[in-house]
Amino acid sequence: MDYILSALKDAINLILTLDPEVSNVVGTSLKLSLTSTFLAALFGIPLGIIVSKIDFKGKYFLNTVLNTLLSLPTVVLGLFVYSIISRRGVLGEWGLLFTIRGIIIGQVLLIIPIVVALVRNAIHDIDEKMYKTAMSLGATDSQKFWLLISEARYGIIGALITSFGRVIGEVGVSMMIGGNIKGFTRTITTAIAMETNKGRFGFALALGIILLSISFIINFILYFFQSGESK
Amino acid sequence: MKNIILEANNIKKCYDKEHVLNIENIKIYEAAFNFLIGPNGSGKTTLLNILSMVDTDFKGDIIYRGQKVKKDKVDALKLRRKFSVIWQNPYLFKGTIAHNIGLPLKLRQVKTKEIEKKVKNIAKELEISHLLKKSHNELSGGERQKASIARALITNPEILFIDEPNNSLDYESAKYFNNLFSKLIDEGITILLITHDLYQIEHYADYITLLDKGKVSKTGLYEEMDI
Repeated sequence: MDYILSALKDAINLILTLDPEVSNVVGTSLKLSLTSTFLAALFGIPLGIIVSKIDFKGKYFLNTVLNTLLSLPTVVLGLFVYSIISRRGVLGEWGLLFTIRGIIIGQVLLIIPIVVALVRNAIHDIDEKMYKTAMSLGATDSQKFWLLISEARYGIIGALITSFGRVIGEVGVSMMIGGNIKGFTRTITTAIAMETNKGRFGFALALGIILLSISFIINFILYFFQSGESK
Repeated sequence: MKNIILEANNIKKCYDKEHVLNIENIKIYEAAFNFLIGPNGSGKTTLLNILSMVDTDFKGDIIYRGQKVKKDKVDALKLRRKFSVIWQNPYLFKGTIAHNIGLPLKLRQVKTKEIEKKVKNIAKELEISHLLKKSHNELSGGERQKASIARALITNPEILFIDEPNNSLDYESAKYFNNLFSKLIDEGITILLITHDLYQIEHYADYITLLDKGKVSKTGLYEEMDI
């Protein structure tokens, strides 16, 4: 029990004194997660709208693949990306392995299916009467599109927050692609895994508390938007 | 006989290769209460969608004030902006009722201050000022319909298309709106109304078109018709 209390004391101390190593790891994680979520949104939102609104051959298959990818284990994706960007891989020459850019590629691939699927659901849930009403009110095609986005806004924001939550808590991609290099590609989750093995429980616990706090804030915001959906 | 404001010739509409509408001719008279009646599934709402240019996927011609209307996006939009539609189950957009009522003006790029002023005026006129700050999903069925009527009237449409408006209105509100529609006709607005309400037909109809199985079976002045 003393050992846990001591680790907790150390953890709180590290957080309150804004320990440079803790700050660096948290900063790297936030930077990575925000960039990955932004890039996934850039591709995922239009794709989600297309999948929801346009009928094409193979749509059923694509939706099944998308739903499967929602629960894709991060180590499997890590392995896949590793095989592409490692020296012997197709993109080996680009030197992406053990870099921030490499992790971002992996994380974007991890959360794009989440963004696409959740945006698709948000758009799909909109009542068909919306389109007829928008037309009868005199909306142009682009105004109709923006009305559609506006009606699905809570669902779209929810998709991005969920994706951010997924990416900040993942360990497989960051570990396999990033290599957990101190001060460079070390993220909260990879640091927790390594520092626990090294016996620096206080440090790992500090990061755990921060990750849990971020997760709480994400869920708090998500709940806010979900309750906004019904208003 | 009043002037013809809108006319449709040889309208054909198919769903899954099956003709659901086959209208040789239908005339909508200006500043009059035009009624569209018929049994369920006779194609009334489909025809309303076409006449209001909400649906442009049909064969045939629409003539507005003597001019044939092109079905391209620009002309269809121009015409739609002269019309308003009150739907049977109105869709309200997320946001306040004030936002919903002002939306058609916002889409026409009217200045915010002017929109606010017009929203207040129409809400006062229709006695729904107390609903303006409410959210779109806080309203009863009748209140939603009243908000959608205000939204339809805020643009001063030349033709008002109405699809069975009284379904969600109580007796007093239905009476109020029937009188309001009559007043609008006196002011020069044309109304095309779909209804099953015999009282409404008996007391307000100027012209009637009876649809049956997607075809016009009777049409003309109400007084001269044997329905």
